[in-house]
Amino acid sequence: MKKQEIQKKNLSKPRYHMADNISGWGFIGVAVAVFVIFTLYPVISAVITSFQEYKPFGSEFVGFENYITALGNDLFWKSIKNTLVYTVVVIPLSLILSFSIAIMIVPFTKSVQSVFKGIYYLPGIASGVAISVVWLWLYDASPNGIFNRVLALFGATSQNWLSSSKTAMLSLIIMALLSSHGANIIIYIAALHGIDNTYYEAAEMDGAKFFQKIRYIVLPMCRPTTLFLLVTGVIGSFQVFMNAYMMTGGGPDNNTTMIGLLIFNNAFTYGKYGLACAQAILLAIVIAALTTLQFKLMGEDIEY
Amino acid sequence: MKVKKVLASVLSVAMISSLVACGNAATETQTAGSETQQAETKTEEAKAEETAAASDVTDTITIMVPPITGDYVDLLGGWISEFNKEYPNITIDVISTSWDDHTEKLTTMALAGEAPDIAEVSYAAIGSYVENGTAIDISKYIDPERLADYDQNALDYMTLEGTLYGLPLYITIQALGGNREMLEAAGADVTKIQTSGWTYDQFLDVIKNGTTSDRFGFVFANAGATTQDFINIFGVAAGITSSFTQDLKYSYTSDNMLSLLEAVETMTSSGYMPNYAVEAGQRLVMLQTGQTMLTGKAMPLFENNIKRNIEKMQAKDPEAVEGTIEMEYVFLPVPTMDNATASVFGTVDGMIALRNNNTTDEHLQNVLKFMDFLCSGERAATVDNAVYLTGVCESARKAQESFELDQSDENAAAVAYAISKVVAPPTGISAEQSANAKTMMDETIVPKFQALLAGETTAKDVYDAICTEAYKLFGEENCASGWIK
Repeated sequence: MKKQEIQKKNLSKPRYHMADNISGWGFIGVAVAVFVIFTLYPVISAVITSFQEYKPFGSEFVGFENYITALGNDLFWKSIKNTLVYTVVVIPLSLILSFSIAIMIVPFTKSVQSVFKGIYYLPGIASGVAISVVWLWLYDASPNGIFNRVLALFGATSQNWLSSSKTAMLSLIIMALLSSHGANIIIYIAALHGIDNTYYEAAEMDGAKFFQKIRYIVLPMCRPTTLFLLVTGVIGSFQVFMNAYMMTGGGPDNNTTMIGLLIFNNAFTYGKYGLACAQAILLAIVIAALTTLQFKLMGEDIEY
Repeated sequence: MKVKKVLASVLSVAMISSLVACGNAATETQTAGSETQQAETKTEEAKAEETAAASDVTDTITIMVPPITGDYVDLLGGWISEFNKEYPNITIDVISTSWDDHTEKLTTMALAGEAPDIAEVSYAAIGSYVENGTAIDISKYIDPERLADYDQNALDYMTLEGTLYGLPLYITIQALGGNREMLEAAGADVTKIQTSGWTYDQFLDVIKNGTTSDRFGFVFANAGATTQDFINIFGVAAGITSSFTQDLKYSYTSDNMLSLLEAVETMTSSGYMPNYAVEAGQRLVMLQTGQTMLTGKAMPLFENNIKRNIEKMQAKDPEAVEGTIEMEYVFLPVPTMDNATASVFGTVDGMIALRNNNTTDEHLQNVLKFMDFLCSGERAATVDNAVYLTGVCESARKAQESFELDQSDENAAAVAYAISKVVAPPTGISAEQSANAKTMMDETIVPKFQALLAGETTAKDVYDAICTEAYKLFGEENCASGWIK
């Protein structure tokens, strides 16, 4: 009897496996389908289009012509330079700001922390367009503009914030720095909570001061988080579009034309889909190279 | 055994049936000759039935329109009902857009192969749709008698390389508008200017006198893409009436352009005009609140807008623009520089037919029926009345006869003078030239112009940059040089 029961159990096992497999495949299938439809297909389609002179009723294959045009276009390189300047200034400053705010929030009780998290995350849930409109109002170049009124209080002359090449990029950077830290702060707070108290206790026993604890405990322990935020920040910054689109339109004299805006203009304003796709592929290559570089420089001695 | 029996019965029935059928066929063949007449009669009847069926076939037309008049979409609903009385099987779907996103939305849909069947466009945008293969030659699908209703000069605006792509809906003239009291105080003989124009030097004197510590003499909407409006509208001051000369050379490389840019440099550096970009809506508010004496782009219909706003202000309606002052709006032509011929910028907007994945010849015939319905008669007259201008087709002008505009005699005279000075663009501009001119405007002129406004570059540098890019795009031999008349 016992032998028969064991045989029965063994026979029924594959059935359980089969059921597990079906539900597993089902769950993976949904994710795979979403990935194929919304990521893989558009990417493949963009690669194909980048070799075409796109027309809705009969595109022509043009080989590498779009890539040659993109690489030979001064505006393409100018937009890469603008994006780099924006990224190099915004991302490190943004990380320092987020990290500092997270450090200041962590000592509070959980409920107070939640209030601060909510306050800092609030701009993240607001419409980017609505935020841009508010900033347009702040940067109004007439003497009635909010920032110009503040300058007038100190006897300074009105500034042409968004229309002057001296201040347009600075204005976008200030806007980026003051608008969106919520997600970074929450991630840093989570990382800070993950540091074991025994490190601090040991440091205190050794007489470590606040900044020493930050330097020797917090910064190294938060390094994986910093790398993650740096990589995602750089990727996001290279894709920045709305700030320039809404605030300056890329002007004056294309001094705030970011690569994302250039691609958008080529695709949706001038209808040059082939060129826009070629530029998007080149942008993807630049982002991939930068990400690899960041992992090489910072990621080698990080344990996850 | 039973199966065999059933099978045998079925086969027998089948055999008998086929024999009967053969017999009938033979009889029919024998009598075919005598029935030829009957057959012809039957064919005619079938044709008639088919035609009836075709008119019963349902069709759906999509139209994309911005608010051409404030209530255009509401009016369109009524006109569709009217159209459906005659064509009950044609359904009209309306895609309503704002002026801000209309072109972008239309371009995106057209490139995706999902363009609306009909779209409102300015004549200058037609080239882009011809270039990407979505614009349709409408002359094949419209009754020539109906086409004769439209003014030929208006149809010319909708024509590219000899092909008609749409029907004109209205012509607008765009120039300057100002506050009469302030202009007269600044030394302008307003009535004379309205009927016989003025020189650039006179204009410069007036805006100089009209500039105070809290008021600009002149403000033009020139933020971002509206820079194009400044070049088009104020460009006529330097004698530039189109992107191309009559001999189809690119005109922004001429000395006229340099003079235009130098005028901007003078006006901004002297503080007569703001040295920052002014949004389209902002310039009218500045006029209504007395922050500027003169503004552009201005149209005759602003007289109505300003009157209504003053009425709201007097009635203490919170919708009135804050700080509104009492004023009399005057419509003025753009001044004329030395060696240039007085002219005024005019543009024609109309409806074009676009190709999408569902386009067929039968469908296009229906599309043109509806397009013609919208661009003629009372529908067009309603639009023309709203922009305070005369219609561009006979049926619209007839419908306008019963309508009286709430317009001052002086402004009416200014409009008449302005219309007489509109120069139509040259015919024969190719789709490629048109698309290249758009690229030049968007990628070079607009960005450089913004830097000029801010005083960060000189007129000469901007002009040189325009010439360099234009020579690359069109070839130097296809660009105008020297002063064009």
